[in-house]
Amino acid sequence: MSTTKALQGVRVVDFGQLTAGANTSAMLADLGADVIKVESGAYMDLFRAVGARDSEPGWWNRSPQFRFTNRNKRGVAFDLKSEEGRRLVFELIKDADVVVENFRRGVLERLGLTYPALAAANPRIVLASISSQGESGPNRMHASFGSTLDATGGVASITGYADGPPAISGMDVNYPDQIVSLFATGIVIAAVREAKRTGRGAHLDLSQREITSFLIGEEILAAAAGVSATRSGNAQAGIILQDCFRSADGRWVAVTVADETAAAKLPAPDLAAWIAGQPAEQAVAVLAAAGIPAAVSLDGLDLLHRPDLWGHTLIRHEDGSLVKGMPYDFGGRPLEIRRTAPDLGQHTEEVLTGILGLGPAEIERLKTLGVTRAEPSS
Amino acid sequence: MSAREPARPLAGVSILEVNNPAAPIAVRLAASLAGKIAADLGAAVVKLEPAGGDPTRRLPPFLPIGPEGERSALFQFLNTGKNAVTAPDAGRVEAAGILLKGRIDLLLCEDGDPVLAAAGGRGIPSVEVAGWPAGVADAKAPLSDFTVLALGGLLDMVGDPAREPLRLGGHQGAYAAGLSTFTALMAQLVAKEAGLAPEPARLSLVETMIWVNWKAICGAEADGKAPTRQGDRSEFQVIPCRDGWIALVFTVTQYGAVCDLIGDPRLRDPKFATRAGRIRYGAELYGMLKPWFAARDREAIYAEAQGRGVPLGPAYTPADLLEDPQYLARGFIAEMTHPTLGTLKLPQVPVQWNGRSFAPSPVGATTFEALARVRAA
Repeated sequence: MSTTKALQGVRVVDFGQLTAGANTSAMLADLGADVIKVESGAYMDLFRAVGARDSEPGWWNRSPQFRFTNRNKRGVAFDLKSEEGRRLVFELIKDADVVVENFRRGVLERLGLTYPALAAANPRIVLASISSQGESGPNRMHASFGSTLDATGGVASITGYADGPPAISGMDVNYPDQIVSLFATGIVIAAVREAKRTGRGAHLDLSQREITSFLIGEEILAAAAGVSATRSGNAQAGIILQDCFRSADGRWVAVTVADETAAAKLPAPDLAAWIAGQPAEQAVAVLAAAGIPAAVSLDGLDLLHRPDLWGHTLIRHEDGSLVKGMPYDFGGRPLEIRRTAPDLGQHTEEVLTGILGLGPAEIERLKTLGVTRAEPSS
Repeated sequence: MSAREPARPLAGVSILEVNNPAAPIAVRLAASLAGKIAADLGAAVVKLEPAGGDPTRRLPPFLPIGPEGERSALFQFLNTGKNAVTAPDAGRVEAAGILLKGRIDLLLCEDGDPVLAAAGGRGIPSVEVAGWPAGVADAKAPLSDFTVLALGGLLDMVGDPAREPLRLGGHQGAYAAGLSTFTALMAQLVAKEAGLAPEPARLSLVETMIWVNWKAICGAEADGKAPTRQGDRSEFQVIPCRDGWIALVFTVTQYGAVCDLIGDPRLRDPKFATRAGRIRYGAELYGMLKPWFAARDREAIYAEAQGRGVPLGPAYTPADLLEDPQYLARGFIAEMTHPTLGTLKLPQVPVQWNGRSFAPSPVGATTFEALARVRAA
């Protein structure tokens, strides 16, 4: 049986927002976990608003960004500002295996959902707290937004033109937000495994800034020995030539000439002039045939038309929509989209009945009180 | 790891990491990072290097002193906690086969390595790191970390639109895939322990980079137009302050706080009130903002901005990070005593697990014959 069932029987309560948290839960869902995304009319995943395409009723359910990253989850609307809402979520966590959250620091405490409180009710719970700076230290309350961490994590200082400022990945990438779930998912799986073996869960304190710095670990190690990296455009230490060159058809061609052996195989002494005389694809083909890594710098539109490069990372759902797949596959099979991203509160009643065991009268009472309201607060 | 330290989470898990001499270096870096994370979390990771040693041993950055083959900071960072063994000149695949006869829980391998067949035959779950997605027409084409960024569309997103696209510093094409590889290893491990007889896992650097850059594709699908690099027309820019650089980043709801921070009434002009306006009149806006930053030190700016909830941040260098109060308070930068290189400082695996962190230990070395004897026993 495929590893995509590896987390079958594992329940995840998902407070994840935007990319870092929501995507970690999505990756757990892809491996078979039952992920219940908790939102409310007053506290929606910000992607529902950031990616909203219109202002017609139901706009909060149509964001492409939200739908890209929340497949395979169930969704409930519990108002965490109300006593009743907090009680419901606590009941849910009592019988869950994992909680994923990337609230601003302090919010979890205000909700009464600290790790000691959760562990007292459920000793095997794994709480994955994904934050900017981590749970401790003088800067634990510092805020960041995606590319802030390119800067404070150190990647920006070694990214940029040789004559220019540090460069960040920017609003449309927010690189530090993307990488965190690739790592956090594996750590959560390891902690779930440990909880199953020992009966003891864990509080996983994941700092996005530390994860970013970890990915320039060799430069930190070298800097401690007095060897400092600098910004050098596309050049890279140890590689004799690496850059982008403009082709005859106006594309940028990225080329890595690793060493003298590779340089001896170049089709012409002046690589820039040679590429300027070739269509990009032809230049890439000639260089590749000579054993020299070369590729056209693709943009999002190019990639949309290159499904051969997607592998299993993007899936065209049967309803026509495109969603994120898995960055890996098991047995060569694509991700199974068991359900599309939930509308706000889509599975509230199902969860109240099926997991919390509430009857119709109680469900109606919660609805009347507004605890399970499934529309944004005005 | 000290003798009195409690067992790490992956203690008792045994992983064979096999280096394929035919794999691109970027693939090696990805696989090595995944093996390193597992090793630092307590797994027993044996790294089977090709005859002549892993070429990463000879890649920069280099430490100022130390024996040849050991003073690569890249190699030392990527191989902490592992036991490295060089395959005999003849028969790398056979050597892997001998090691696989011992107790191995997981096989980590690279780019179509024939050792995969041996693992499959023994029911050992595997994770294969490749450069290209399976089935792509140019699957044998040479590839580098840089061309992975180009193929994944990330290169197009960074830099100035009037100039060549820019790579992110370091080895991000490889390392993003390294993180995915670690997660795939954990998924395979729990699948095996659940009795699922897991099928081989595979991932590629190109796929992972496309996965990372999903917003560009999502944007292209939604708008018919791809987002691209904005340079100094970007909504968020890195601007000079008196003693360095600051990345000015804020959300749509935080512009008022930015205005309060700078205190220049011109920033309240209605044309800057919306995100669209701030992008349209970005040159004018940043022209007003820059003098305020240029007259101040980065730490003072950082403290005042954070106090007002503006999520900007200084562009720290790797050397800055070694002295960073937050990192020092959390013990994120570990000291590791290497037998020949002395005391090294490096970031540890970025998780605190019930407040516990996992300091790395230097890569160890053994001979194939010794290891084969232990494994067979």
